Amino acid sequence: MATYDFVFDGLGLRAWCDAGGGGGAPMSMAELLAQKSGGGGQISAWDTPFPSLDALNKACAQIPQSRDLTKGVEQGFLSIKDALRVVLDPLTQPLSWLLEGSLSAFTATPWWLMFLIVAVVVFLTTKSLRLVGFVIVSLAILAFIDHYEYAMQTLAIIFVSAFLCVLFGVPIGILMSRNDRLQKTMIPILDMLQTLPPFVYLIPLIFLFSVTEPKLYGIAIILYAIVPVIRLTDLGIRLVDKEVIEAAESFGMTDRQKLFGVQIPLALPNIMAGVNQTIMMSLAMVVIASLVSAPGLGVLVLRGIRNLELGVGLVAGFGIVLLAIILDRVTKAGLERVNAAQKH
Amino acid sequence: MSNWMKKAAGLAVGVVLGTAAQAQAECGKVSITEMNWASSQIITEVSKFLMEQGYGCTVEKVPSATTTAVASLAENGEPDIVTELWLNSTGDVYAKLEAEGKVTRLADVFSPGGVEGWWVPAYLAEEHPELKTIQGVLAHPDWVGGRFNNCPDGWGCRIVNDNLIKALKMEDAGIEIFNHGSGETLATSIAAAYENKEPWFGYYWGPTAVLGKYPMVKVSLGPVDMDIHKANQNKDNPNPGVSDFPPAPVLTVATTDFAQREPEIAELMSKVSFDVDLLSNLLAWKQDNGASAEEAAVHFITTQSDVWSQWVNDAARDKLSAFIK
Repeated sequence: MATYDFVFDGLGLRAWCDAGGGGGAPMSMAELLAQKSGGGGQISAWDTPFPSLDALNKACAQIPQSRDLTKGVEQGFLSIKDALRVVLDPLTQPLSWLLEGSLSAFTATPWWLMFLIVAVVVFLTTKSLRLVGFVIVSLAILAFIDHYEYAMQTLAIIFVSAFLCVLFGVPIGILMSRNDRLQKTMIPILDMLQTLPPFVYLIPLIFLFSVTEPKLYGIAIILYAIVPVIRLTDLGIRLVDKEVIEAAESFGMTDRQKLFGVQIPLALPNIMAGVNQTIMMSLAMVVIASLVSAPGLGVLVLRGIRNLELGVGLVAGFGIVLLAIILDRVTKAGLERVNAAQKH
Repeated sequence: MSNWMKKAAGLAVGVVLGTAAQAQAECGKVSITEMNWASSQIITEVSKFLMEQGYGCTVEKVPSATTTAVASLAENGEPDIVTELWLNSTGDVYAKLEAEGKVTRLADVFSPGGVEGWWVPAYLAEEHPELKTIQGVLAHPDWVGGRFNNCPDGWGCRIVNDNLIKALKMEDAGIEIFNHGSGETLATSIAAAYENKEPWFGYYWGPTAVLGKYPMVKVSLGPVDMDIHKANQNKDNPNPGVSDFPPAPVLTVATTDFAQREPEIAELMSKVSFDVDLLSNLLAWKQDNGASAEEAAVHFITTQSDVWSQWVNDAARDKLSAFIK
């Protein structure tokens, strides 16, 4: 019989246990094979199972099994799903609109106009003609091998996600830098967001929203990519010299003046480094986002994996690398200009 | 005793009794694929049980997927046995392997074959019986939510669907085509639609847990025309036509080397063929009980011994007699 029978027998719970009816647990292969060799016999001390739910269930049918736990979690989620949805659905709807709008804007713009816009934006942020040339040549290569539309879809998604990450991440970082308790509660959350495999929170999200909504992958990307900008904003503001703050205070600056006039400008290099990291991390999520129906280069990578079309996968991967280099160089050049401006 | 101690003890006993168990010694190591979906895992578990208990083989399960299994067969000649191979998603690679004589077709693992098609939920078909044909769907796109749930990029069905969509002019009829990113979101979209009793229309296949759990009604696309269906499997089909999905060939194959080396096992595997309804029920049972594939296999072994006892040869049936009820 089961190993932990003695526990329930000893506590006088045998009657209660057996009242639960037959165990009803599906038989495992090991049990089936044990049946053949004559009822299993004695289990040696070496093989004693850990008193887990399943092991206890064998001795007492009233103890739930581990699968009942996972089932319970599922039932619990499904029962609060509707209430959650009423709150979260309208709240996140703008994200869907933004993504749809940006996707159609990026793909509807003719390529020559897009090149022009990109050139102007890159020049304004970097003031470097060499970099403008590099970016245009890279985009031209992607367009030449007919990956332009996929690249634009990917860029459109990253554009919206990174923008929202900065929009929410910087204020959260500022709040964290001014409140130690908030920082203490936020840091474990940020750690979790970075380590939790995205599919774990994608599954409940799929049930919560329609899978055809772009916000599904938008949320997945943002949750993953928002972390560095929050961390580095918090860090940057905390690293501002105490003496500078004291000087600002001696001038009679208010808190608000101190924040916007001294702390944020001095923390800007760190914040910009966070923005750079956020953009790179949203790019890293492109392939995973394609698993929940995001368009772009990730789709091609997945096709390459599924059909073992090595070439398709490698070329699309190269496209993602090229986009990463462009985004990294441009934001780094922008960061250097900020740094240089502060030296004066 | 720990596992390795058991193995060591087993080995010692095996060496002592080796000469006695002549038939047993003949079967050596067998590697068999375990695809990443439930029905294949059950088939693999049942086969493993029969080979180990009936024929004395040492079976190694190789976790894989359709394309990786075929690629591994082509490049390394391994694993020995591939079960539940959906031929329509292997492309030309498999046909080439078979022509070269590297692999041998052992059996159709489903009878009458895999089911593919376009479906609507049963509650929707009850409300609007016209939706049972594609003409009804095209005439009333709003009844199905104006959306077709298509296969992910890179699946065999995606190419067929895209050709059918063109041939049926679905987008002109006002049906938006939604290309899913993965099989997971395709399955969840059905589950979510069922939770809220919302309209749903799209591609799915069986036997799967999804079709076992959620009653779906097949949307008839008209008669099956093999020529048109074959042409639709080509990505650049110049004039796509309309043909319903024929029963999909789903095979158990073995490398030719293996079939020659272990004729008994090849014979066994050529008989392992599941009735589609039986497997669907088994998958639904698995889902309802939160069981693992292994437990579902045990459920099959304990409750359906009259089915599997026909698959094994007389010697194996003797050894397995304890399990036959």
